[in-house]
Amino acid sequence: MKRLIFSIIILNLVFSVNAQKYMTKNGFISFYGHTPMEDIKADNNQVASVLDISTGDLVFQVLIKSFHFDRALMEEHFNENYLESDKFPKATFKGKITNLQSVNFAKNGTYDVTVDGDLTIRDATNKVSAKGSIEVISGGINANSKFNISPEDYKINIPGVVREKIAKNLEVTVTMKYSPL
Amino acid sequence: MKKSYKLALAVFSVIAVAGVLYGLYKYNLKPKDLQKVKPDFVLTATDLLKAFESDENGAAAKFVDKVVEVSGTIQSVKPGENGALTISLNTGNDISSVLCTLQGNAEPVNFKTGEQITIRGNCSGFLMDVLLNNCSVIQK
Repeated sequence: MKRLIFSIIILNLVFSVNAQKYMTKNGFISFYGHTPMEDIKADNNQVASVLDISTGDLVFQVLIKSFHFDRALMEEHFNENYLESDKFPKATFKGKITNLQSVNFAKNGTYDVTVDGDLTIRDATNKVSAKGSIEVISGGINANSKFNISPEDYKINIPGVVREKIAKNLEVTVTMKYSPL
Repeated sequence: MKKSYKLALAVFSVIAVAGVLYGLYKYNLKPKDLQKVKPDFVLTATDLLKAFESDENGAAAKFVDKVVEVSGTIQSVKPGENGALTISLNTGNDISSVLCTLQGNAEPVNFKTGEQITIRGNCSGFLMDVLLNNCSVIQK
């Protein structure tokens, strides 16, 4: 009997803890840069992310090599010259929803949020603050955001010859479809 | 004197034109269609995941940037924002699988959970799953 009660308590704990966490392994992040010379665009459909709705904690992880370009040469340069993905295979973001109280996770709807956190690309970490939205739907949570980053903030060396071809600011688009963990 | 000058100019222009054409060709080169590329490794999704679980660095050195052909059963099919499908393969592990993002657009209805499939892709490494990109479906 004691054992049964104990297992019920444990089970309850597990489920209540689980209901607070949402996860995806197929998140989408793309970036886009425009200059008169050239547009740069890459997509990544293999973003792993966890959202904890009790604390507002958000974690994203991507493999640099999972960014896919339309041009093979651009992808090669991105990996070998700029991001050095053999040396720095992952990029991560760890942050928090700063206005968690304005999201009602119990009620379907779209809520505006601000996320503050640290973005690590290569061996450089910078503070990022991004506006976005959280959409509560039945059985899941969608999250969307767009923000800008600058390659120079992440020690990405771009030689003078091609400097004009690569935008000073890249627009990052984040689209996540979370399911309960 | 004049003649050799002309010849040099002609040779130079041919080289210049060839250079520009080669540059344009390289610049416009699309990602490789893996349907036509011989795989470096052929194995099951379960074995590929096991390799990364037992020795992540060793497996990364062996498989990353290589063309890997994996076979297994479909766990789930998720359409991406840009129309590219991501298929995850069963590995007998609850948390980790092999995730394959297909090159180009494909209809999700063509793939059913539990179906046996063989996919060839570029291995980009291990996150929570083994990730394959630019994938082609080899056999269904």
